[in-house]
Amino acid sequence: MAALLELRGVHAGYGRLAVLHGVSIDVQAGELVAVLGPNGAGKSTLLRTISRFEATLSAGSVRFDGRDLAARTPEAIVRDGLLHVPEGRQLFAGLSVDDNLRLGGYTRPRAGLEQAVADTYARFPMLAERRSQEAFSLSGGEQQMLAIARALIARPRLLMLDEPSTGLAPQIVEGIFELVRDLKRAGTAVLLVEQNAYLTLKNADRAYVLENGSIALAGSAAELARDERVQAIYLGGAADEAGE
Amino acid sequence: MLQQLLQLVLAGLTVGSGYALVALGIHIILRATRVINFAQGEFVILGGLLAYTAVSACHLSVLVALPLATAAGFAIGLLFERLVIRPAERSGELTATIATIGTVYVLLYGHALIWGSLPQPLPFFSGGDRDVVWHAGGVEIAAQQIWVVGLLAAALAALWFFFERTTYGKAIRAAADNPLGARLVGIDVDRARAISVAIAIALAAFGGTIIGPITLVGGAAGVAISIKGFVGAIVGGLDSPIGCTLGGLFVGVLEQLLEAPFSYGIADPVVYSLLLAMLLVRPQGLLGSRRAVRD
Ligand SMILES: Nc1ncnc2c1ncn2[C@@H]1O[C@H](COP(=O)(O)OP(=O)(O)OP(=O)(O)O)[C@@H](O)[C@H]1O
Ligand SMILES: [Mg+2]
Repeated sequence: MAALLELRGVHAGYGRLAVLHGVSIDVQAGELVAVLGPNGAGKSTLLRTISRFEATLSAGSVRFDGRDLAARTPEAIVRDGLLHVPEGRQLFAGLSVDDNLRLGGYTRPRAGLEQAVADTYARFPMLAERRSQEAFSLSGGEQQMLAIARALIARPRLLMLDEPSTGLAPQIVEGIFELVRDLKRAGTAVLLVEQNAYLTLKNADRAYVLENGSIALAGSAAELARDERVQAIYLGGAADEAGE
Repeated sequence: MLQQLLQLVLAGLTVGSGYALVALGIHIILRATRVINFAQGEFVILGGLLAYTAVSACHLSVLVALPLATAAGFAIGLLFERLVIRPAERSGELTATIATIGTVYVLLYGHALIWGSLPQPLPFFSGGDRDVVWHAGGVEIAAQQIWVVGLLAAALAALWFFFERTTYGKAIRAAADNPLGARLVGIDVDRARAISVAIAIALAAFGGTIIGPITLVGGAAGVAISIKGFVGAIVGGLDSPIGCTLGGLFVGVLEQLLEAPFSYGIADPVVYSLLLAMLLVRPQGLLGSRRAVRD
């Protein structure tokens, strides 16, 4: 079966700066795949290359649902069902929470949008309370929830989350992972970049470890959680943080 | 005395409506592209001249010429964005802003070449060559003044509806607020910017046609219209549409109040000094927010 997302020998970066050096990864439909790696390894660049958000592909191929993404505009990629929630969230700071959410549904047919907005408010009650507030006035956790909710309104088949838990309180982090589990149950594939290796490996199906722009390790989440290198570098502190 | 004052205020609101439309256009383009369009007043003239041609050469009613000139302004705005702003912006917003100053002179001399350098008359909307005038409590009210203020209100209502109530209007605001974020939800940011510029130029052409019967259209008036609209935007707040509207009206009224009692020529220096004073004392304008100045 062809993978939903398929990267082959991807070289990418910013202008003349090369960051990724021949990365190949797959994400199957409905799968939760994690990318771990040290700061500066190129994790965000990987997601940005896929969504065509600032980073540019110089060699190799990115295919989503069998289509070569190099030939598609960033808008068409969203229409295809590939949504990216980047670091920094990129909300519409001066627009209301409600407008932010509704614009998340910009590419979908108007029919069904009202229902989707109502469902979103039921799922994120704190957004419902703040629906007419401007997005910049939300707390960090609320902004992250809004960013994810805005992407979900577009009905993604693959959602790419870049460090959604960074800087957030433990209960909120747990809430985000719960949401990710819900998505998986509903059949949405997730490509998750995270610092919190413990929670990530506990929830993911498979994971890749990216170091210096190349895949250093790959395998099922359970295998990687048992790997000595992963334990030493990524799980040492994280397991303690999580109270284990 | 009171009648005289009211008379001047009415005249000021009429000219000020033109400045308000210029200020709004500058605001819309600045929001979408971070470029200040100093040619806005030249597009006011161009709109008026196109309406003049529609009326004098094509024998159309000025009420038909108005939507035509506005639509032409929209199309010209798309061209302006594509041919001037977008290419110049690749070298930065400052380059693009300077390119708009270049545009002023291209249009100024272009207009003179096509229409001659003398201003042309436009018929009054309800009177043809001579406007209908009412007297109310010692104040003369010309029908065109009612037309101008009423059409300004209609344009504002249409803009409000578009930007606040339609999905595409909100998408344009989103693209201006955060272009990267807009791409993430699938908004075509380049197109949103082009439409923003086109709306601004359509507003300018609309303004030129409604004010034209009072001021005549053509000649070298465009530069002053640009600057006065800009002063209005700065006074009210470049980032506030309401501020831009009120600021433009205020400049029009101030100009009339200064011109009447004093000798002709004092209004301009005062208005331009106001620009400097505002930039030094309250750069965000009376109704603008601090946030707009910082980023
Ligand atoms: N917009 C950009 N322009 C130029 N270089 C960039 C840009 N973004 C990232 N880089 C560079 O690319 C390299 C990889 O950065 P990237 O953000 O992909 O790392 P990361 O793995 O996500 O790190 P972190 O864990 O800190 O988020 C770094 O050397 C960084 O300096
Ligand atoms: Mg990163």
